[in-house]
Amino acid sequence: MPNHLPAGNDTPSTPADESFLHHVCVPFLLRSQNPDGGWAFHPENPSCVEPASWALLALNSISDYPQAHRAVQRGCDWLRAAQLPDGSWPSQPGLAEGSWVTASACLALRSQPDSAGAVARGIHWLCQQRPSEGRLWWRFLHWIQRSSAVVRHDLTLPGWSWTPGTSSWVEPTAVSLILLSGEAKDSGPPTMARRCRQATALLYDRMCPGGGWNSGNPIVYGVAGEPQPASTAWALLALQEHPERKEIQESLRWLADIYPRIAGPSSLALARICLRTCGRTLPPGPGFQQLHARNEFFRDVSVYAWVALSLVPLQPWLSWSALDRRQP
Amino acid sequence: MTRDAGPLIHPFARPLSRVAIRHADSYQRDLAQIIYETLREFALPVQDKCVLLKPNLVALDERATINTHPAVIAAARESFLRLGARTVLVGDGPALDRDAEAIVESMRLREFLGPLLHTFVDLNVDALHPTPLRTRASSLKQLYLPATVLRADFVVSMPRLKTHHWAGVTLSMKNMFGIVPGSRYGWPKNILHWAGITRALLDINSTVRPDFAIVDGIIGMEGNGPIQGAPKPCGVLIFGDDPVAVDATSCRIMALAPERIEHLQRAGHLLGHLREDKITQIGESIPTVRTPFAVIPSFERLRLPPSSPS
Repeated sequence: MPNHLPAGNDTPSTPADESFLHHVCVPFLLRSQNPDGGWAFHPENPSCVEPASWALLALNSISDYPQAHRAVQRGCDWLRAAQLPDGSWPSQPGLAEGSWVTASACLALRSQPDSAGAVARGIHWLCQQRPSEGRLWWRFLHWIQRSSAVVRHDLTLPGWSWTPGTSSWVEPTAVSLILLSGEAKDSGPPTMARRCRQATALLYDRMCPGGGWNSGNPIVYGVAGEPQPASTAWALLALQEHPERKEIQESLRWLADIYPRIAGPSSLALARICLRTCGRTLPPGPGFQQLHARNEFFRDVSVYAWVALSLVPLQPWLSWSALDRRQP
Repeated sequence: MTRDAGPLIHPFARPLSRVAIRHADSYQRDLAQIIYETLREFALPVQDKCVLLKPNLVALDERATINTHPAVIAAARESFLRLGARTVLVGDGPALDRDAEAIVESMRLREFLGPLLHTFVDLNVDALHPTPLRTRASSLKQLYLPATVLRADFVVSMPRLKTHHWAGVTLSMKNMFGIVPGSRYGWPKNILHWAGITRALLDINSTVRPDFAIVDGIIGMEGNGPIQGAPKPCGVLIFGDDPVAVDATSCRIMALAPERIEHLQRAGHLLGHLREDKITQIGESIPTVRTPFAVIPSFERLRLPPSSPS
């Protein structure tokens, strides 16, 4: 369970932010809940785990909304029912295979009563999952082809993949690490601490030269990749343990520099969550009202949820436990 | 829900394909007129139909050098509407960046198309349907595909003329990777790499074969594409109803041999015509517009010899 809030910069939102949260985000999230209790990426489509998880986290972080309380209860019921027998959650309804959304589902349920068992099973599944590039035959193949390798990062470090049987990437690794880092050291499977250490090492290894992260290819054919705000935000949120490290400082600086020029609402929201959590003063940037006026966020539930999360006080789901990943 | 992709025909039984090359030296020209007149020559069955334009949207693109140029997308949309299409949607599922809105705003698509809410579809987060693959080149067997793609009456692949550091080139066939949704397979859609780019490309294109292709070759990209290459002015738009023939012609314009590009070579056996003698050329000839593109060292073998007849 979460132990403490991050020591971030909890700057109160502006009146415009407050208004946007209460008059646009929350009504949209409440309105777009499906009759079965879940949420889809777009209203009226079948419910999916990922948008439901972010919508639940957003609505759960808003106090004094009786409607939100009821919506969260229904949403949690739907999310628990969507769990697969092996403890994972599928990315799409009807699928019998778990995926990266297991981490976001656990984050959404972790603070809910009657969900401890579901979260424990989800964490157990995550700790069992290993990306395919860590397998022996694959490492051997890579070793043979090392002179012509297109990427230079350490392919032996296991993080988490989007789907089973594929490679580690920054976002699923970071979200899983955020989840596991919030668990008490003595809880969870025995492999949890090791997986956290490996995932931490992977994220540092995948940092773009000069700071920031993209989806997970920092250098391809010897050319440095461009970092992206959302991937950078996820990685920084997962690596709060060492705020003094040079890589963290460089990446935070990159994110703060790019912040005023971020053109997409989801990237802006995640950057905002990250900078606040990491104790940075928010640079002047585009307002959500202004971004919303363009395309209504394409009516994407997960975008409304991330924007809402960026406008509420600091997040319990981002809290850290005393889990020490530095031990060998 | 499946889409009628038409029969798979062996090259010896397939009628000749037609590919049109039109000169267009800048994005300021009246592209809509060029595209409209060319589409009319193909007599496309789009009256009262729902047309989906599938551009290549890869990354943030403030300098308009990476993605299909918005002027070409807007001109194509206008042309299909003039031809009587009921609806013309624009859709893609960027592979490397979840923030599709950031990408379309960075390239100023809204300035060219107007409000995007009801025009643009982020295929990554569309409703999905499990779809059996028509061929078994890869081990995938089925893919979850976006409802917008499966429901469209007419799909137009609209890539930019680019070299690609893994596939050799990224043209109308490789562009179809963008219909594979991130909400099922992640960002990037890594399952396709593990299944083998070439094999997965064949399966996707046999299942959702584009009805038409328009390649934005006004300014292409050479070298380390699809993102980090260098802009390469080429001054052409390439059109056709056979994506294999369009891609083969595009390669020849770039002075690359399509027969040496694995996915094209394989596609030439089942999905369309690769051989030059099976393609009827309309408009400009290849030699008059040929612009050799640089490739990364591992793809030097793709180059056409300087003395090549076409």
